[in-house]
Amino acid sequence: MDDLYLILATLAFLGGFILAAVSLRSERPRKQGVNIPIAAVGLVFQSLFLQLRGEMHGRCPITNGAEVLVFVSWSIVIMYLALGKAFRLSLLGVFTMPMVFFFQLFAIVYLLAADPGPRPPAALDPWLELHAAMSLLAYGAFGLAGVAGVMYFFQDRQLKSHHPGRLFYSMPPIRYLVAALVRLLVIGAVLLSVGIVAAFFMKVVPDRGHLLISGAVWIVYLVLIVVHFIKRLPPKPLSFWAIAAFAFALLTLSAL
Amino acid sequence: MSIFCLGVNHKTAPVEIRERLAFAEKSVPQHLSEICGMDEISEAVVLSTCNRVEIYGGSETPAAALDKLVEYLIGHFAVEPGEVEFYRHEADAAAHHLFEVASGLDSMVLGETEIFGQVKKAYATAQTSGTTARRMNKLFQQSFTVGKLVRTSTRIQQGSTSIGSAAVDLAEKIFGQLDGCRVMIIGAGEMSRTTAQSLLSRGAKSIIVSNRSYDKAEELALELKGRAVRFDDWENCLDDVDIIISSTSAPHAVVKHEMIHRVMSGRRGHSLFLIDIAVPRDIEDEVNEIDNVYLYNIDQLQQIASEGKARREKQIAVCRGVIDEFLREKGIEALAGLPDGRGGSGPDPILTETAARPLTNP
Repeated sequence: MDDLYLILATLAFLGGFILAAVSLRSERPRKQGVNIPIAAVGLVFQSLFLQLRGEMHGRCPITNGAEVLVFVSWSIVIMYLALGKAFRLSLLGVFTMPMVFFFQLFAIVYLLAADPGPRPPAALDPWLELHAAMSLLAYGAFGLAGVAGVMYFFQDRQLKSHHPGRLFYSMPPIRYLVAALVRLLVIGAVLLSVGIVAAFFMKVVPDRGHLLISGAVWIVYLVLIVVHFIKRLPPKPLSFWAIAAFAFALLTLSAL
Repeated sequence: MSIFCLGVNHKTAPVEIRERLAFAEKSVPQHLSEICGMDEISEAVVLSTCNRVEIYGGSETPAAALDKLVEYLIGHFAVEPGEVEFYRHEADAAAHHLFEVASGLDSMVLGETEIFGQVKKAYATAQTSGTTARRMNKLFQQSFTVGKLVRTSTRIQQGSTSIGSAAVDLAEKIFGQLDGCRVMIIGAGEMSRTTAQSLLSRGAKSIIVSNRSYDKAEELALELKGRAVRFDDWENCLDDVDIIISSTSAPHAVVKHEMIHRVMSGRRGHSLFLIDIAVPRDIEDEVNEIDNVYLYNIDQLQQIASEGKARREKQIAVCRGVIDEFLREKGIEALAGLPDGRGGSGPDPILTETAARPLTNP
């Protein structure tokens, strides 16, 4: 049943992306906010999947790479639904959906090929839950910052080329993209800091590798934010490092 | 009782004719009461803009009312019989015409929004003058609904159609709201003035004008409520501006790559938008290679405007589809209750357009 929920969520995100792509090519403008209900449907199925996996393991369902990918996707969708509207970035959903789709596609393939099955239940520890939840929500914010970075490169390229296409007129201004990217980095860093602090109160101290990796991700983002606020990084390197840092964070997740 | 429309526009009459037929704003109420004083006409609205002069009205005998209106216009305005071709629409065709006008489909700049406000104002004037009743009220109110629907459900407003609007659209895609944007004009030519005015109309602030002749710079600065700087001093102002419009008559590049490169290193990531409308060009092409610098020359802006126009022309059919779809569902309310069954909900409205015909001696 959990696999079915995951497949349904993945199909929802694929559907949302296809719908957006078709309507962007259409002669009629796309209806505003269509991505929101589609993302919400996807989120419901993601949540059902994670709930079933959590019940199966008796702990937070981040016991293997597939679950971590779904959890990160879930966080990205939550962040998009919570902040996307406030940041007023049109097409943020259109750029987010394919990323979430591919993350979940990898998760499906992984689980269908070799589902490691249930892990022994961990002792109930609210600090552990807080650590996991905050850290993964932080990854959601970092993921969305990476999406904003990709959107910046896309819009910058259109402006530099002197041949803006149809998508150009639907995209947000680059100044807004950069502002949103910075805010998402800060939100992510704050959430990750809370997650890391929570780890120090856990009943079972995480192993050294886990601590090192979490610390490395935290330091990478902290350095990026501090350098930006001190030296005011130009948009291009800032966007590049937001994308690179998220790629690094994803790689570290696979190592956890 | 049916409705009608009589008029000329930029497609059917040159400006020399339109300006003679134009109703002075103050005299519209007087003309409206004279028009409604005719036996054949019970309601009237006058829409008079720089691109069109149209009279909409309600009448039991629309054909006779149209003839009477032509007589009236010849009697009151300096046009000769045979000199002008009025288009005459009745019933569904008159309503369709107004819907297209309100949607910007009949405008010189396709999809422009100014006409929507002008139609609203014309209707308000007629209402205040007491020359509207049920038919005109329904007709104009429905035209506002259709105008809004067309603009929100099609791409008729998307893309730029002139060099000025292309520059503004690009600036908004870089900076977002132009409220805090600072503009510098190098070379006080007509094109610079027009482009700067387009930017000002969207909220750009603090214009700096520099020109070889300082008097001309001062003159333009005064007109644009900015400040003038001497031509040998404009480089010192580069740090403080977001948009540069250059149109000098210099035979060589005035804005150089090294100059902008140096300026950008101190801008802490703030973008710079350069508009080069000079021929020969004022700004070195390599400037566009600098990060966060966006350079557009006159050909590139013209190209964007041409593509925008073509895109809007392609949208006409889509917009007409939207209007037809709307009317299939709602019908033309101003014609509801007519004995021949026109208006109201039902099948496709049948166009009963009377072909535009030359003005003959009445």
